[in-house]
Formats: sequence, C-alpha cells, structure tokens
Amino acid sequence: MSAHKKWTSLFALVMIVSLALSCAAPTPEIIEKEVVVEKPVVQTVVVEKEVPVEKIVKETVVVEKVVKETVVVEKAEALPRQETLYFNGFQWGPVVCWNPYSANCNNAMAIAQGDNARVTMFETPYLYNMLDGKQYPLLADGDYQWNAARTELTFKLKEAAHWSDGTPLTAEDVAYTWATHVKYNTPTGAANKEYIETIEAVDPQTVVVKAKLDENGRAVNPLIVAAYVSSNYVIQKAWTQKLEERTGGDATELLADTAEDVVYSGPYHKFYTDDTKVIMVRDDNYWGQDPSMWGKLPAPKYLAHMIFKDNAAGSAALARGEVDVSQQFNSNVHLLWLNYGLPISTYLPDAPYHIGASLPTAFYNLKAHGLDQVAVRKAIAIAVDYPTIIANAMTNQSATFEQVPRSLMNPTPGEQAMYDHEAVKDLQWVGNDIEGAKKLLDEAGIVDTDGDGWREYQGKKLSYVATCPNGWSDWQAAIEVVAAAGKKIGIEITTNYPEWAVYQTVVTKSDTPLPPGYEIFMMWSAGTGITQPWGRIRNLLSSEWVGMPSNWNGNWGGYVNPRVDELLKAIPNETDPAKLKEMYTELVKIYLTDVPSFTLMYRPELFHTVNESVWTGFPHQEDGSVPPIPPMNCINGWSIACLYNIRLVSP
Amino acid sequence: MKGYRKYFLNKLLWFLVTFVCAFILNFTLPRLMPGDPVAAIVSRLAQGLSDATGVQAIYQQYTELFGTNRPMHEQFFIYVRNVLRGDFGFSFSQYPRTVASVIRSSIWWTVALQFPAIVTGWVIGNTLGALAAYLRGWFDKVLMPVSIFISNFPAFGMAIIMLVIFGVALGWFPTSGGYGFDLIPSFSWEFMWSVITHYQLPFWSIVLIAIGGQAIGMRSMSIYELNADYVKYARFMGIKDRKIVGYVFRNAMLPQITGLALAIGTMVGGALFAEIIFSYPGLGFTLYNGVMGQDYPLISAATLIITIMVLTANFLIEILYGIIDPRIKAAQAE
Repeated sequence: MSAHKKWTSLFALVMIVSLALSCAAPTPEIIEKEVVVEKPVVQTVVVEKEVPVEKIVKETVVVEKVVKETVVVEKAEALPRQETLYFNGFQWGPVVCWNPYSANCNNAMAIAQGDNARVTMFETPYLYNMLDGKQYPLLADGDYQWNAARTELTFKLKEAAHWSDGTPLTAEDVAYTWATHVKYNTPTGAANKEYIETIEAVDPQTVVVKAKLDENGRAVNPLIVAAYVSSNYVIQKAWTQKLEERTGGDATELLADTAEDVVYSGPYHKFYTDDTKVIMVRDDNYWGQDPSMWGKLPAPKYLAHMIFKDNAAGSAALARGEVDVSQQFNSNVHLLWLNYGLPISTYLPDAPYHIGASLPTAFYNLKAHGLDQVAVRKAIAIAVDYPTIIANAMTNQSATFEQVPRSLMNPTPGEQAMYDHEAVKDLQWVGNDIEGAKKLLDEAGIVDTDGDGWREYQGKKLSYVATCPNGWSDWQAAIEVVAAAGKKIGIEITTNYPEWAVYQTVVTKSDTPLPPGYEIFMMWSAGTGITQPWGRIRNLLSSEWVGMPSNWNGNWGGYVNPRVDELLKAIPNETDPAKLKEMYTELVKIYLTDVPSFTLMYRPELFHTVNESVWTGFPHQEDGSVPPIPPMNCINGWSIACLYNIRLVSP
Repeated sequence: MKGYRKYFLNKLLWFLVTFVCAFILNFTLPRLMPGDPVAAIVSRLAQGLSDATGVQAIYQQYTELFGTNRPMHEQFFIYVRNVLRGDFGFSFSQYPRTVASVIRSSIWWTVALQFPAIVTGWVIGNTLGALAAYLRGWFDKVLMPVSIFISNFPAFGMAIIMLVIFGVALGWFPTSGGYGFDLIPSFSWEFMWSVITHYQLPFWSIVLIAIGGQAIGMRSMSIYELNADYVKYARFMGIKDRKIVGYVFRNAMLPQITGLALAIGTMVGGALFAEIIFSYPGLGFTLYNGVMGQDYPLISAATLIITIMVLTANFLIEILYGIIDPRIKAAQAE
C-alpha cells in the first residue's frame, strides 16, 4: 500500500511540475527580450574605459532604470487590431540582428537591400517601381542627373530628411556608407566596387556617384551605378563610426554586430521580436511627414509579422483575417473569395492573379551526351505540357505562354516592350508540340535505331535525369511534366530530387562539369529592377559565370556564345532605345534558337494577396494611383506608398 | 556495499566511454553529409549581387570564419573549445547568433510542450494498460485495438486531424502560434489564457499517440506478471488481491520506466510535426532547419544535449535499478 502511495504522490508531483512548466514557458522569453532592449545602453557605457569601475556600475543602473520605464510605457499587452497591419511570407525564422551593413540578419521586415529594397526602417535615395520601371525620389530631392559622358551621377537630398535621433541626413552620410561598404568588404561593397569608384559629398545636400571607368574611359556599367541609388540604404555616419569603434575596425565583427542601437531614417523601427513574431512600431517623428515627401505618417501604427512554419499555416491565418498582406504562395488562392466569400483579393482579379516577374527555368547540362545538340534541347522544350505545369505547380497563378509569349523578358509591360515581338514570332513555342519535336529529332538523324523505343545519338541511348531540390513542390511538379514530355518523344527522362543542401552545392560549382544526374535541372532567374532585363539575360547567358567555383549568378549549364557576351557588354552603355530594342531582340532570337535553357512558368517577384477585413485601399490593377503602386506588399520600393493610402474598413 | 561500489564504478566507466564515443560521432557524422553549408549561406547573400568576384569574396570570408576549409582534426579542436566555452560557436544558419543563444530561445517551448506531454501520455497509457490487463473483458477488447490504431498513427497525421477537427471545423482552439497573434508576452490573464489555449492542440496530438504505445506495452507486461509463479503463490498464501496487484504493477513498471527515461532524454529533439503543423515555437523545427542547412555546430550541440540527457537518464536508472532490484546488481557486478 505504501508503495502505491509513493507512486501516486510521485505522479502528482510530476503532473504539477509539468503544468507549472507549461504555464511558465514563455516567461524566460519576456526576461530575455528585456535584456536585449537594454544591451545597447550597456554597451555605450562600457565604451568609457577610463571611468573608474564603481562609477560605471552606478551609471549602468541608472540608465537601465530609464530603459525599463520606457519599455513599460511603450509596450501594450495586445496590439490594437485597428492600428496594426499584419504580414506573412517574409519572415520564416527568428530575427538575428538589426545591422543594415549585414545581409545575414534574417530580418525581413526591416532589412532587404536590392532592386526593390525594403524601406520600412532604412531608406534608399530612390524607390524603384516595377510597374513603370522608374526610380522615384525618397531621400533624394528630384531626379538624379548623369553628366554628358554618363560617368557621374549627381543627386540632391531633401532638406527635411533627418535621422531617428533628430540629426539631419546629409550627403556625408551617403558617402560614408559607401566608404564603409568598401572598407569592410560587405556584400554591398563586394557587389558594386567593380562599378563604382567613389561616392562623394559635394555639399551637405549634394551627392556625386562616380562610376569606375573601362579602358575607353566609359563607365564600366552605368546600369549598376544607377541601380545603386535605389537598392542600397543610407546609413548614419555617426552611428557607423560608433559601430567601428566598438568592433575595433574588424570586418567580421562589424558585420556580426547585432546593432540594437542602430539609428535609422525610416518610418518604423523595432518594437518586439521573439521566436513567433516580429513587430515594428511607427516613429511619429518620421521626417517623411514633411510636405516635401508624403505629407503625413503611414496609416498603421504597428507592422507585425507572425512566423509561420509552412504555407498551410500562413494560408489558414490569412483566411481567418489574422493576416492582412500575404507574401506567400497560397495554393488555389481564388477559392478564398469564390468558394468561401472572404474579402480576399490579389492584384489582378482573374488568373494569373499576380504580375509575373521572374522566370523559373530548366537548364540543360550542355556537356551531357546529346544535349550538346540543339535539336534534342529544342525537341524536349517544345514537347513540354506548359498548361499542366501552370495549372498544377502554380494553381494558375502564372501567365500562360499564349498570354505572354516566351522570350527573355518577364511579363511586365515595360520589359515586354523591349523586344520586337514580330521578329521572333516563329521561334516562340507554347508547348505540347509532340509531332513537331519528333520531326525535329528525325530530321537531325536522332532516331530509334535498335527498336527499344528510345532514340539514340551516335549509337548511345538518350537518357537523362531531370532534377530539382526535394520538397520544392511546385518545381517538382514542373520537373515531372518535363520528364513526361521526354517519354512522348522517345527520350528517356527520369526524375530525382536531392536535398537542397546537396543540390545547391553541385549546381553552383561551375568550375567542374556537372555530375551525372544533373542533365536537366531547375533554377531561378532575376525578377524586376533597374538593371533588368539586362541583368537577367546576363545571368542566363553570360559566359563569365562558367568556371566560377561558387556560381550564384546563372548560366549553370555552361553556355558560351561570344556574340551574346558582346551584346551583354554593349547594352549597359547604350542609351538609344531603338538600338537597345534591336540588341534585345537579337538576344531573344539567339536564346530561342540555341535553347541553352527554357522557362517553365512565370512567377511573381512577390506574391501579393490581401485580406480587406480590417484595412482597405491596397493596390489593385487600375486602382487609379499615379504613379501606379506596384503589388509589392506595401513595404518594397515604391510600393511603400500603399501604407499612406490604406484606410480602415470601419474607422 | 562493496558489490554496489563495483557496480557503480562499472556503470560510470561505461557512461564515460559511451560519452566520448558519442561526442566524437556528434562531431563527425554531420560533417560526413554531402553538400557545403557555406554555399547555403552564400546563396542567401548572393541574391541580387551582380558581381562574380563579390560572391567569391563572400564565400571565402565565410569559409574562413566557420573554418570549414580547415582539416577535420583542426575543426574538431575548435569544436571542443567552443563546447568548453559553453556557447558551441556560431550557428551557420542563424549567424551571427551563437548556437547557445539559438537553443536558449527555443528550448523552453520544447521542454514545456514535451515534458508534460510525455509524462501525461505515460501515466494515462500505463494506467489504461494495467487496467486492461487486470480487468480484461470488454475494457481490454475495446482498449487494445483502439490503442494499436492510435499508436500507429503517424505524428503528422494525428496533428493534421486535430487541426482540422478542433481548429478549423469546430474552431475551439487556435490553429497556430504559441500565443495570440495580437499579444505580447506579459503577466496578464489574457496572455496566460492565450498560452493555455494555444497549447492544447500540439499537446494532445503528442499525448494521444504516446498513450496508445504505453498502454500496449504495459498491458503485455502486466499479463506476463499476472501469470508469474509468485502471483499464484501469493494467491495460495491468501494475500489480498489489492496487495498482489501492487506487486505486479511494480514489476511490470520497470521496463516502462526505462522507456520514460529515454523519452525524457530525447525530448530535446523537439516535436517536429506538432511544431510545423501548429507553427508552434520550439527546438524541433530549428534543429530540422539546422540539419537541412547543414548547420554543423547546431546539429552537434543539439545531439550532444540529447546524448548527455539520454546517457544521464540511463545512468541514473541503472543506478536506481541496482538499489531497487538486487538481482540486477548481483548479476552485473560479477
């Protein structure tokens, strides 16, 4: 009996401990977060090394108290729904840091430099608009000016622009940001220093960007110089110097600094983060409320992003109205309003629902047996059933190749206008052309000689593996359709899906031939930006990537064509639109003739689905906004204008 | 007592030998996976970089920083140093966070979800199993097939079924997150209640599966013990049924306790499916991403914690067995 009692009390104890644990779980989270808030303050105190130890301690205590009080005042226990705009699809894990010099902060709501830079917390001089391909001034005052030789780009800064600490934002900040990127070889520095010589402050409001010159005294690439001003943040000089001081001038330390004390110029900043969410709060002293920019503050007080672990959870939250702006692939998105009657919509009311911007592409290993033959490459490409790919992999959230004929351009009107559609009409295919493919192979003498049902080339059966990373379900669906096409035309194509860690290591190693099993493989291509479509075509076709030990740019199949390289070199310095069109048309012709790779579908740069239960006034096609606000989730490039347009459904 | 000391030292020695082997394996095995972890990091940074040499520079920088270009034995000593320092070095996938900080922020969620779930499942399962063995009849006839059915459910299947029924269709419980989407952690009733409601679905999706397995094991053990000679002898002696049942369950419990110890030891690995399906914070998903992204330090640290917990749990149980059951000590000490 006593043993029984002992067991009973042991169980009771264990259960109590369990329950206590379950309830107490998040508590350490809160404590930890408070410590994080205090960190920068402590760090500034520690800098004063000469001060006697006792004094440091005293000062620390005083400062901590102040911070804690602020936290109590600022932190609401629940975010008011009417003041919060909820996002999903950007952040898939906890935030690591707030350092705008680092590209590794996993801080998608605050830091994303690039063609459509995220400008919630840090700001770029200009904002790119993917819909009209133009750059609109943000920190800059008016358009930038090139000098006659297109080697120097000059722009002014707005007088009103200031930092979160109240100090004015000047040309000195822009120049020092660039100097820091170069000095510490940050990703931004490494990417641009071959194209930008210096960035100088002429006076507090005027910035000159000087391009690197080639042997002929021309800018190496004016496109990349122009892209810099809408792709990269301006970071405060004073804060950067503080950062340099505390990291002792060490590049690794500088990039690894969590930068909790960072000074910013944007309308939002850190409010709260943990393993489940990221919340930013509006800075009501934001300079942009000046009439020279927006003239008011953005509507939502808080921007919040829940961290979901898969698309299904994100879609469920969107349907429940817990997400307002969804940047993730919501399978069969149209059912949300057609079948469930939810106030959910996409940028376009009907399929393809989004503006396609990037071209997921199947690459051929051009060294593989038979794939060095254009006939084989083209036959496979024209036999593929693209409508099935678009219906299955993308649930029709991609334009079809009848709607947007294949080229090297994305479906945006700006890019479509850049090549002569008539001139390449005969080369464009829409797929499912089994007879055409068979004819092509027969004419090339690639036929089934031994009667086993598969064609041979030089006596050897054509047999390939089509591949993409495991778990990338939309790509896997597309690859299966490619394999099926092979069967129909007598080319054996099997599929294989290695893990991404392995796949990317193999595919990006362009200094050695691709191993067997990677004859047909999928990778992406660039989306929208000021350097596009040039940048995308360079990635797809330039021979400069062949031979790189770590190739994250493109042309993974190893295509080499001197004429293409020549055109790619000439385009950035060409300003005559007619000549540009001619050059782009020639590139499209070469691409559709040689078929070193082929587009499988169109994909939006960012998915943009909104739930208008709480907020309304999001960008939609023909919403009357001038300039048009792109469907880029209200935080990227010019789409940030959306935050000043949206309003509450029931105020 | 001398016999017990020998037994204890013997077990301690084995504990240390196993630990050293496991430690080396924890380091080596992740690094034998094909693929290059630095390439994965570069892939994140290189998006939008238009310059070839820039990408190379970043690649070099990170290979140098993480030491993946050094010979394996050098990497091992760096790992040992990081372990001794207590931070396990930088996480590759969440750089510049240290592994210690990554684990610290998610382990509480995992422990709070797993520990109560394992214990509850164990207690309910064993009670039901014992009752089935003792009562037999309709109770056993119903419980046995139900247990087999439930315990063979894949974890993700159970989680999805619960999500659909109680989260989506009935709407009784929230479907994702550790607490309300609009809340910030605080000591308020609203927050506590939110944590409790968010806890239910992931918790029961683990408990239900555990109950089935435990019940089957306990039932078999109890039936075996109920037919043992000492039970018959005790009955002949006229000892009360209740007393006998006490003996029986105490004996039947021994292997179940080992199972419990192992389950608690491995719980740090996290409840991957429950975490993914309910977007519940925890170490399981972090570790899964670590494995997929070849985050060697994170994988090694997590497996090291699991190793230590399992070894310690086993060690303690063996020591405890030596005390509870003299036969084991006698047999092992020889």
